Amino acid sequence: MEFGWSEAQVAYRQQVRELLKATLPADWDEIAVHGPGSQAQTEFSKGFCRYLSEQGLLVPHWPREFGGAAGQPWDHFILGEELWAAGEPRGPQYMNVNWIGPVLMRYGTPDQQKRFLPPIVTGSVIWCQGFSEPSAGSDLASLRTRAERVDGGYVVNGSKVWTSYARLADHCFLLARTGDKGKGGIVILLTPMSAPGIRVKQIPALIGEGDIHEVFFTDVFVAEENRLGAEGQAWEMITYALQNERIGIPRYAFSRRVLDRAIAKLQTEGRFTDPILQDRAGRALALCEAARLMVYKVVDERANARPPSAFGNLARWAVIQADHAVNDFLTEYLPEGLLGADPLQQAHHQRAIAAGIASGAAEIQLNLAARRYLELPSEAPRAV
Amino acid sequence: MQFEPDEDQRAVLDGLEQLLGALDLEAPKEGALSAFSRTLDQQLADSGFLQVAREPGFSLLEAALLVERIARTPVSAEAAASALVLPLLDPEVARPLALGNQITAPARFLPHARTMLVDNGEDVLLVEVDAGNVEPVETLFAYPYGRLRRTQDLRIRALGPTMATPLRRRWRLAIAVEGAGLMQAALDEVLEHVKTRHQFGRPIGSFQVVQHRLAMTAATASAARWLALRAAWSDDEADCAIAATYVQDAIPRLTYDLHQFCGAMGLTLEFRLHLWTYRLKALLGELGGSSAQARTAATRAWSPARQ
Repeated sequence: MEFGWSEAQVAYRQQVRELLKATLPADWDEIAVHGPGSQAQTEFSKGFCRYLSEQGLLVPHWPREFGGAAGQPWDHFILGEELWAAGEPRGPQYMNVNWIGPVLMRYGTPDQQKRFLPPIVTGSVIWCQGFSEPSAGSDLASLRTRAERVDGGYVVNGSKVWTSYARLADHCFLLARTGDKGKGGIVILLTPMSAPGIRVKQIPALIGEGDIHEVFFTDVFVAEENRLGAEGQAWEMITYALQNERIGIPRYAFSRRVLDRAIAKLQTEGRFTDPILQDRAGRALALCEAARLMVYKVVDERANARPPSAFGNLARWAVIQADHAVNDFLTEYLPEGLLGADPLQQAHHQRAIAAGIASGAAEIQLNLAARRYLELPSEAPRAV
Repeated sequence: MQFEPDEDQRAVLDGLEQLLGALDLEAPKEGALSAFSRTLDQQLADSGFLQVAREPGFSLLEAALLVERIARTPVSAEAAASALVLPLLDPEVARPLALGNQITAPARFLPHARTMLVDNGEDVLLVEVDAGNVEPVETLFAYPYGRLRRTQDLRIRALGPTMATPLRRRWRLAIAVEGAGLMQAALDEVLEHVKTRHQFGRPIGSFQVVQHRLAMTAATASAARWLALRAAWSDDEADCAIAATYVQDAIPRLTYDLHQFCGAMGLTLEFRLHLWTYRLKALLGELGGSSAQARTAATRAWSPARQ
């Protein structure tokens, strides 16, 4: 047991930092303020990811056969930490490299891998995630969008909601129901967003421009060759995808960065001598570092090729606590940051308020931790 | 970065398990709340485990791993101060070691201590303790507490104010490491209870409201442990203060929840949850409490020298 970085890891982190310093424009905070789904950040991400790809830093953790460099899990994580701390200049494409690509590598046909993976490797494609529906949020298995079998493929009818990046996406990783209720009747369709019958409506939201949409599917034809895996196999693939997302985004890295910036500002203003302010800052700092170590523990499991454990759910909870603690500290002591004075603080605020909701609600994480990590007995279903 | 113990660390921990396994570590059902085990205390000293940080090839991290494990036993023994603070001093300084802020105030482990280390804000004093000069203090805190009967004619060596910073750093580390072990042990005790205790026809632990709070407690106990172990690895001012902040900040909520899930049973000495929760409550106020640690964490982490 030890908690240090190897020389190679320090050098790798430095390489990423230098790349960011050389690449991000002076007005990057302004570009990033509206979030990864905004037009501005998505446009920026296309050029940035292309450059990352050229530098071998977009999918370094992928196997060589799919265009990666078979990098170490810790390197991939260091990359994620630095990019998220910088405001995620990959825009929506972090999703491609973290889980859409890996799912395609594992379950895709050779033809699908040939069609869909190279654009991810070169950073030239945007995907959106067609999971949640108006009646299926945390309870994903109750989704109702139908995929009816027809000659050569499926016809999809239904709607998705909360869909990030939908307006700018090229493809949708779409879940639809072919069979009966429950987890067994779901299929995954790799759906071109240009297909006739798809309508995207942006929903104005607190969390930034372009992050939330409703997507309507009316008689949308999806060719059979775009079905991922077999009908009924979707839940297995979703579980695998979520395992790849099990540590989620290294949100605490961004929280720590904005906290450091805030303290520097408070020091400059002569306010950091206030013991109450110091107390609050110290507690937020402790939660950030707690989240960091909890997530590192999960990365360590992966680096040692251990099967995914439910510890990841505990780590997610710790990350949520850190995001909110920093956000609350900033909102209390630097409210001007949300009044136009600090785009980066606003960007952090907009990500923090979604931390316990997006990618599996905090309460779902606690449910999973209780059952799988603590092995507590299940709650008996109530009689209706 | 490696979260699993290496071969040497595992060997040290296995050795401790053997020592613990050979002892009866059940706290007495009646008698002192502190459940102090002279046998364990003595065997830890004789075996050399508490001196591990002084051994070549070992460090504070191995000491912390041992202290965290010892804290999970139902009985108490003076391990944290000896293993984590005492290495700052000459090897001939005798243990058990009591830590305090005033010579006259009650201190943990003082009834069994041979040395008391006092940080009075101006100087750090090394006080030789004569067992006959210690008056036991009755307390709900599940540690032995005592105070010196008389303060004149004590053998005191002033270590100088420069010792205050390292002493407080290690004291914070000791709070964090011991606190992490206590949290995990208390959680384990309650998990066992909620899986077997039935109300409304089903185990208490099947209710979602209980499950969520226990999952949060598990996250807290884990984070406390990793923060404490990292602090032991780095022996850094900010890391030690961050770890102590996290532990002391979490103690009220964690002890409230764990007692709540055990109902009145948890208020009886027979149930033994207090062996860990009332040690945690004792740690809550040490070194000025969570606010003092949080302010230290903030000023150390963001000190101009560090930036």
